[in-house]
Amino acid sequence: MAAGPLAAACVAWSASPLAGGGSGTRPALIVGISCAAAAVARLAAGDRVPEADVFEKLMGRTRRLLLEALQAGPWAGGLVIAALALEALHHSRPWHTGLLAVALIAFLFAVYLAESGARPATLRPQLPVLAAGLGLLVLCCGAALLPAAGTGAASGWLRVFAAVAAVVAGALALPV
Amino acid sequence: MTTAMTTGHTEARAAVVTPGQPHPVELSWGPSRHARRLVTLALAGLAIAVLTRRAEFAAPAAPALLLLAAWRQDRPRSILVSATLTARRMIEGEYAAVRVTVSGYGDLAVELRIDPARAITPGPAGAAGQGGRQDDGPDGDGRPDLPFLANHWGRRQVGVLQITLQDRWGISEGRAAVPLPRIDCYPLPAHQRSRVVLSRLPSRLGEHAARVPGDGSEFAGVRGFIPGDRQRRINWPATTRRGSLQLNTFAAERVQNVVVLADGTADVGSPGATTSDLVHRGAAATVRAYLAARDRVGFIAYRSQASWITPGTGQRQFHRIMDAMLAEPGNSGDRSGISRLPRAALPPGALIIVFSPLLDGRLVETLRDLRGRGFTLLIVDVLNADPGGGQDRFAELARRIWRMEQDAIRFSLRELGIPIVHWDGEQSLDEPLAPYTRRVMVSHR
Repeated sequence: MAAGPLAAACVAWSASPLAGGGSGTRPALIVGISCAAAAVARLAAGDRVPEADVFEKLMGRTRRLLLEALQAGPWAGGLVIAALALEALHHSRPWHTGLLAVALIAFLFAVYLAESGARPATLRPQLPVLAAGLGLLVLCCGAALLPAAGTGAASGWLRVFAAVAAVVAGALALPV
Repeated sequence: MTTAMTTGHTEARAAVVTPGQPHPVELSWGPSRHARRLVTLALAGLAIAVLTRRAEFAAPAAPALLLLAAWRQDRPRSILVSATLTARRMIEGEYAAVRVTVSGYGDLAVELRIDPARAITPGPAGAAGQGGRQDDGPDGDGRPDLPFLANHWGRRQVGVLQITLQDRWGISEGRAAVPLPRIDCYPLPAHQRSRVVLSRLPSRLGEHAARVPGDGSEFAGVRGFIPGDRQRRINWPATTRRGSLQLNTFAAERVQNVVVLADGTADVGSPGATTSDLVHRGAAATVRAYLAARDRVGFIAYRSQASWITPGTGQRQFHRIMDAMLAEPGNSGDRSGISRLPRAALPPGALIIVFSPLLDGRLVETLRDLRGRGFTLLIVDVLNADPGGGQDRFAELARRIWRMEQDAIRFSLRELGIPIVHWDGEQSLDEPLAPYTRRVMVSHR
């Protein structure tokens, strides 16, 4: 139930403002909307694809091929990439990107719960790790908000590598 | 809700599990779809962060990478699985179930699903654990039933049991596929309660009243008392009227030999109601009806070659005949055709009930030959389809010629004294057979 609104929110949030994006915003938006629609349709259709029948009619065959295409495509992954690309086409706005990241994580968990049929309570053991991840997320966004130490290209690289190193160190240090 | 099994890694396959015996099954481990999506998010975020030199894009990667760090290494390499069918023999349209026992999976969640073979439909979700999860603790031995429906008769595979183990975070999953045993799905017998009975019956004790007097229970008439007759059979009212001792007589009760011939040479018509389907459903009904009357029933399967079951009685004979229906052509029998069947397969005086669309010329000749040898035949015609081939004038002309040929075949058989009734597969078999079941069928030699 939550996957549909979350998918729509991710695409809309990453594309806004539509006029503020660089070239390529429109194709990325189309890809994002298509992937969101396909991901939600796949969840609604379920996993059952009707068996191919020698006597099946055109409508049945079309429906079966459509369902097979829905099953085969990595639509949720495509939505994630399209949303991040849309966000990258806009000017730097760290808090905006941070919220998008939270929405994307929520969307992926909603898809997982819908696919597996598990209850949200099954995610309880993951809450500490998720909290640690969100902490790192805030750290990265905060690092991006800090004024640059210098004006050269090296200062930008340095901030990126610092953020990536913090994330990797956090993952490696996780006592799982 | 079931989880689709579309991960890219190869599946471990095992031999068919011996019913009732736990069998070790190798697991093939790989990332789940959820894990692959998290990897996509992490890699996309890090790549964009590096390419655009914007540190905030490392933020989406942080929670994803931390969750992926929970990847477990202590996973079982194999589990113990036993899968048994609740029924190995069933009738088309019936439900059966696969009873599965899985053990040795620790605290992982187990999901079971049937990948159905042709003409098998998995049962309704939740009815008996279809697609359900087996989460009953460490090394649980829960026995969920996975129901399935056999849509069409035949000897067929049920499919493959897909077992998916998932860690509690849904990051890694182990998969195994276990081929399920075969089932024998009998054709659904049509409705038939009445039976055609011949005027001449062999001298074996049975349940049909014969024309000759005997020790049966059906009243046949009254005759004068002869010394030695049983006194309890004296008809006192008739004795009083005639002034001499009169005795009740009863009809003898005899068994009937019936041979059901199923013509499986043609398979035309709409799917699910082809001539072959109708032949076997009708034959099953007739076999069941005569066996219920304790008659001796034999069976001849006429395909590319003939195979037969000699007449017999009882439930065991029913199963023997059903198994013969499902057998592939050539598993048993004589390669030289039906005209040289042994005497045991076609006992003298037997009623031969033929289910056929009469499209095979060899069978028509064989029926003429059998009639010539003095057998009493009754043909149930199951042809309900016309040849296709367009709507133009020539196609219509060809269809008319074909229909005339079919009419000629049926006319020639009727002229030989072989009654033919038509059955559409939907109505009860009692209706087309009614003219021959209301009275005994006179057998001509």
